[in-house]
Amino acid sequence: MGGNDVIVRVAGAAGDGVQSAGQIIAKTFSRMGLHCSTYNYYQDIIRGGESWYQIRASGNPVRSQGDGLDILIALNRDGVERHTNPDINEGGAAPLSANGVAIYDEKISISRSQNCGCAPVPLSELAQKYSRNPLVRNTVAIGAAIASLQIPFDTLAGVIRENFSSKGEVAEQNVNAARAGYDYFLKNYKPIDVSLKTSERKKYLIQGGEAVGFGMVAGGLKFYVAYPMTPASSALHFLASHSRKYGVAIKVPEDEISAINMAIGANYAGARAATGSSGGGFSLMVEAVGMAGEMEIPLVVYESQRAGPSTGLPTKTEQGDLNLVFGAGQGDFLKIILAPRNVKECFTLSREAMNLAEYYQTPVFIVNDLYLAEKYETVDDFELGSFSIDHGKRAQDGEEDYKRYLDTPDGISPRAIPGQPGLMHNEDSDEHNEYGDVVSDAVTNPDDRVKMVNKRMRKFKTYIENMPPTPTYRLSDAEYAVILWGSTAGVVEEAIDILREKGHRVGAIEINRVFPLNPDIGDLIKGRKKLIFVENNYSGQFERLFRSEFLVETFSVRKYDGEPFYPGALANSIEEIMKG
Amino acid sequence: MSDIVLKVSDYQGRVKPDWCPGCGNFAQLTAIKSALASLGIEPKDVVIFSGIGCSSNLPEFIKTYGFHGIHGRALPVATATKWMNPELTVIAYGGDGDGYFEGTQHFYHTAKRNPNITYMVSDNQIFGLTTGQASPTSELGFVTKTTPDGNIEPPVNPLTFALTAGATFVARGFSGDPKHLAEITREAIKHDGFSFIDVLSPCVTFNKLNTYDYFKKRVYRYESDNLEDFYAAYRAVQEWGDRIPTGIFYRVKRNKYEDVDPILSSKNLVHSEPAHITEKDLEEFL
Repeated sequence: MGGNDVIVRVAGAAGDGVQSAGQIIAKTFSRMGLHCSTYNYYQDIIRGGESWYQIRASGNPVRSQGDGLDILIALNRDGVERHTNPDINEGGAAPLSANGVAIYDEKISISRSQNCGCAPVPLSELAQKYSRNPLVRNTVAIGAAIASLQIPFDTLAGVIRENFSSKGEVAEQNVNAARAGYDYFLKNYKPIDVSLKTSERKKYLIQGGEAVGFGMVAGGLKFYVAYPMTPASSALHFLASHSRKYGVAIKVPEDEISAINMAIGANYAGARAATGSSGGGFSLMVEAVGMAGEMEIPLVVYESQRAGPSTGLPTKTEQGDLNLVFGAGQGDFLKIILAPRNVKECFTLSREAMNLAEYYQTPVFIVNDLYLAEKYETVDDFELGSFSIDHGKRAQDGEEDYKRYLDTPDGISPRAIPGQPGLMHNEDSDEHNEYGDVVSDAVTNPDDRVKMVNKRMRKFKTYIENMPPTPTYRLSDAEYAVILWGSTAGVVEEAIDILREKGHRVGAIEINRVFPLNPDIGDLIKGRKKLIFVENNYSGQFERLFRSEFLVETFSVRKYDGEPFYPGALANSIEEIMKG
Repeated sequence: MSDIVLKVSDYQGRVKPDWCPGCGNFAQLTAIKSALASLGIEPKDVVIFSGIGCSSNLPEFIKTYGFHGIHGRALPVATATKWMNPELTVIAYGGDGDGYFEGTQHFYHTAKRNPNITYMVSDNQIFGLTTGQASPTSELGFVTKTTPDGNIEPPVNPLTFALTAGATFVARGFSGDPKHLAEITREAIKHDGFSFIDVLSPCVTFNKLNTYDYFKKRVYRYESDNLEDFYAAYRAVQEWGDRIPTGIFYRVKRNKYEDVDPILSSKNLVHSEPAHITEKDLEEFL
């Protein structure tokens, strides 16, 4: 807090425009060349309830929503009281800090808190000068918040103009309202004490779910078919709104069963396709996952987790679907599970998933969670040059004696797609021989069965040999290794920095390729005093999977209240285990 | 479709059908082959999709591209393949359990979408592969392994269902009249939209009620000079008892999903290049 790092929180009710206000602030930060990331705390309701949206910005990369709160914009009384209360109970979020500032409508009468600087602003009164829309008071508040950070008004004005560009005079009304809030703050209050290190380098601000959809497009996606479900829908919405631009067909079918079967049908035809859902919808897809495994059809599934079981907490985060994804589909086959660690990796891993699915002719999962799917984060570089489409092995037209499931040393057989001359064959969800003829009906052929299982499972070895090294953080001299998967990477890194400051030799092993696991992990864990697993679930789903591979003693930090980890509290939990 | 002269034997599959001797499915296999041959559609341009059941083994027994998937799901897979590559002739095929129980939702919505595919159902009014349990088209009172006191649930009428859902070609065939079935199949494949054929297909092993003799006494060829009359079709397909009509009941032209969808109508997605992302595409995130 202070210095080169600031946290702004907008609090109100659903329908108050909390999220829109937060996004304008985030965009203003990224336009300043600052790193930033957002956190969306909301409920399963369209109007009312309690919600807030937090933006953290810094000259350095922002890895989590962070501890502390510097600027509070409260759009109702509940917002002021809740977020200035030292006993705030929001899953780990901090109350407004002692030298922070609370911006709220002066019509809200509160007893002045001793914990923070109160900065009432006549939000509604100033807004009314420019617009009859009551939500314009949010823009006044944004203006005040930007003033408190001494950010030049023009940057904000540019973002506002763009945001309302399709709404005619509304844009200038909002710019004027923001200006009024900006001037009012500077006239009546002192700016807060920060010095954000801005940069000339361009920053892209993109949401995790959008980055998944965008990554799939970059990976050659031609058809996305999904039934809406939070928090997977942000990818669907991105793709639907970019369908014409990128020539990607979009379909919302009758159910998730149809969705995954359509994705399989498109991939079978030879067009890259994907589906997506959260745990509930993905549960309906499970049978077809096995089909893609048996028939060796490329398939990409985006599984964006929220807190379960069943409907669970629809707007809250959890890493609770790993068992489901890991166990999806009867029998044994290569199933690749990827878990992005940040928004940039939502892009790069989703892009790569499209190649992996076709190369290995098997289902590939991008397992995300609500926390990361709904987070906006700045990205410096999408590494566009580092990728090219690889269709893997394809049969040549008219090939003699074509065998769709040819037994090969790497387990991968050349595919033929419908329309290719001379390669007609049957692909079958029944066990089959190399030609695709069923070996389970009239006569079961145990030799063919074993040959096909071995062929498919040989793809494991091929995949593992081609895996890139497992990412680590400050691990080389670490006595203690924290092991995480997916979206918790950022917060774990911050916790490790806190612990390093205190003199602990601790580092992290960051798993973004969850299954199969890279054997290089065996070397990374060697000689560590303790292996500490950090997971957003109750039972340590990844920890169990890991132990089944590496047979080691493990320790755990787990959180399952629907909220993400916070760095300070996480550092404390890790420290307790190290000392214990 | 081309000028190449094709014979039924050009579609001879690698594997000999393993259906019981006398099974109604044989007539359907022959009908599909002869319809494709007479239309001049080359084996490489045909994909046959199926689910699970005795009938669903058919893709193995014909030399085209074949996709033998999972129970009830042939239609969504078939639809997507057709959408991605409209040059292909796509047929979905399965049984009454597969299509009218497990896959009901797909049947309804596929008919509504009207993709240019053909759906043929081998309707034997019983579960065959699982050795004789009541199916969605089993008659009231029908005694099976799962209905020892007789079936108490009335059968569905797949033809009224298809009409209600918006199918643009609705027909019924009978495996005991293979010539008529082949004619209907040919018309169905030719139809520009979703064509549906329910085929009365006696199960010689497990259905001792709805036999060839049972149908031969009842079946007649339906004729109409106005196949676009929805209400006439709706009335006709409800006749079931002493007389059972077969033939084409309904045939209309309506927009196909792929005619209207902006992407699907503009290109063959299999044979076109994917989007290439450049630095310029990143600007929207600045």
